[in-house]
Amino acid sequence: MTAQDDEPPVLAAGVCKRFGTRTALDGLDLEVRPGEIVGLAGPNGSGKTTLLKLLAGFLSPDEGDVRLFGQDPFRQQKSVMRDVRFAFAPPPLLGSLTAREQLSYLARLGRRRAEVTRADVAATLALVGLEERADDRVETFSFGMRQRLNLAQALLPRPRLLVLDEPNDGLDPLAVIELRGILRTLRDEHGLAILLSSHLLIEVEELVDRLLVLVEGRTLFAGAPARLTAGRERILIEAEPRDAARELLAKRGIPATPEGAVALALPAGSVELVDVVELFNARGIRLESFRRDVPTLEAALLATLQGEVERNGRTR
Amino acid sequence: MILRLENLRLWRSRRPYLAAFGLAFFLVLMLVGFYTYAQTKTSGGADFGYTYENRSYFNGLTFALYAFYFGFLLLLPVFVCTEGGVQVAGDTSSGALHMLLTRPLSRARLFLAKLALSMALAAGITGLLLGLALVLGLFAVGWGDLDLYPGVLQMTDRRQHLEQSEALARFLLAWPAATLALAVPLTFSLWISTHAKSAVNAVGTSVSIYLVLYVVAEIHFFQELRPWLFTSYMPYWRGLFREELDWTGLVKDASKLAGFACLFAALAFRRFRSREEA
Repeated sequence: MTAQDDEPPVLAAGVCKRFGTRTALDGLDLEVRPGEIVGLAGPNGSGKTTLLKLLAGFLSPDEGDVRLFGQDPFRQQKSVMRDVRFAFAPPPLLGSLTAREQLSYLARLGRRRAEVTRADVAATLALVGLEERADDRVETFSFGMRQRLNLAQALLPRPRLLVLDEPNDGLDPLAVIELRGILRTLRDEHGLAILLSSHLLIEVEELVDRLLVLVEGRTLFAGAPARLTAGRERILIEAEPRDAARELLAKRGIPATPEGAVALALPAGSVELVDVVELFNARGIRLESFRRDVPTLEAALLATLQGEVERNGRTR
Repeated sequence: MILRLENLRLWRSRRPYLAAFGLAFFLVLMLVGFYTYAQTKTSGGADFGYTYENRSYFNGLTFALYAFYFGFLLLLPVFVCTEGGVQVAGDTSSGALHMLLTRPLSRARLFLAKLALSMALAAGITGLLLGLALVLGLFAVGWGDLDLYPGVLQMTDRRQHLEQSEALARFLLAWPAATLALAVPLTFSLWISTHAKSAVNAVGTSVSIYLVLYVVAEIHFFQELRPWLFTSYMPYWRGLFREELDWTGLVKDASKLAGFACLFAALAFRRFRSREEA
């Protein structure tokens, strides 16, 4: 049996996984389509690693179904892995081999020798900037270089689904930017489906088309990152004296809440700059600043999490 | 390809070289032991080449056989248990197993590659110990016919005499026979390795259990248990150094050992194939 072309790269439905009495994943749904990058985020212990291990066929779900290209990765591992490549964290490498040997041997496992040429190996090493250390043993590599090699082994031969676990760990800022470029190219030019796991949202927000946020094994958010921040924009103004400004705005029906020591926060779209200037000038209030505040993904997520906690009355 | 990869990893590891060094060092110790024993017996007048034991029966072949016997009981099981123990547990703790299992490669093939290479290494170090013992015996003592007498080593229950050429042929036969016997602790440690999270735990556990079973098999008190212990059959190859070979007995014991090895290999494979990599 081979992977089906018309099946989605990842399809997980109602997946539960328990370790003893601890529930690592609780009713998780996930779909990754060809040509999109999906971010998987969440704090430590949220279930990200368990999900990746289910996708890799290392674990079998207690409930629900996991399919990669329509196949069960636990039972049809050999067939599934022809189209899927993983880069786990921390990079699990074969230290006694050179970078070239490692890449060459791993890429040819389960394939005909002609499927991966020496030129392919050299080109992939060059892509991740390891061509000059190609014949050095991996055990002499720094963490960042191991991370690059880990990425290289996941790219050769090119898969249809790429699963990356904390790919930015140990990379310098330039390498992080290069990695983003590589992933965008793979998505846009080669139609790869990419699942990117990270505990830092800031690492994925610039890159992903969709985001899945897990907290304690449950889905806290699933959708386009913009949806997470939508409706959370505000206007921040600084005025002197602040209390007088707040009272004045309240009289006009504009709710203003103190933000920090000097600012006031207003709902987005509640007032225009020209109106505020006119209003404050008439009352002798000095306007120091007026700006739109777009929360970061992390701040928006934190607010969502707090809302969830308030709704439930307690954390699970 | 997986066989080539595992082979490269084996030779790039320190294990084969440590085993070779350990065996060579052991043989030198044995030689020194025989020499000092002879010096004591002769009040310091031993001729290292010939007279530190009764020259009528002690020569390089006797030395090689004694050295191989001790090495087989004490040293080789430790090395094969180490090899079996690191195979799965070592790759689990280093994360290499995760990388190999996310390739289009069946677990059966990976398991067989590991088993085959471990067996090859077991055969290699067994042959190395035999070969080194014979070479050292030849140059340090000198060969002759092989005479064995009943004694504490339980090599024989009556005097045995083998012409030099015949004795060398028996040494050659002892190589595969001893390798078969070592396949049992090897597969046993491989089985333990599929349950352990680290190579140290797997090796430590399998070596400890081997030693306990070996002692139990040697103690008269546990006579009823002996037929059930693989350690009872492991030194069966000693039967090759008899004037008249008891092929029935040899084949019977070899079959039992092969049965134990197949059982442990099957248990290891069953566990490896179905286990979750949490």
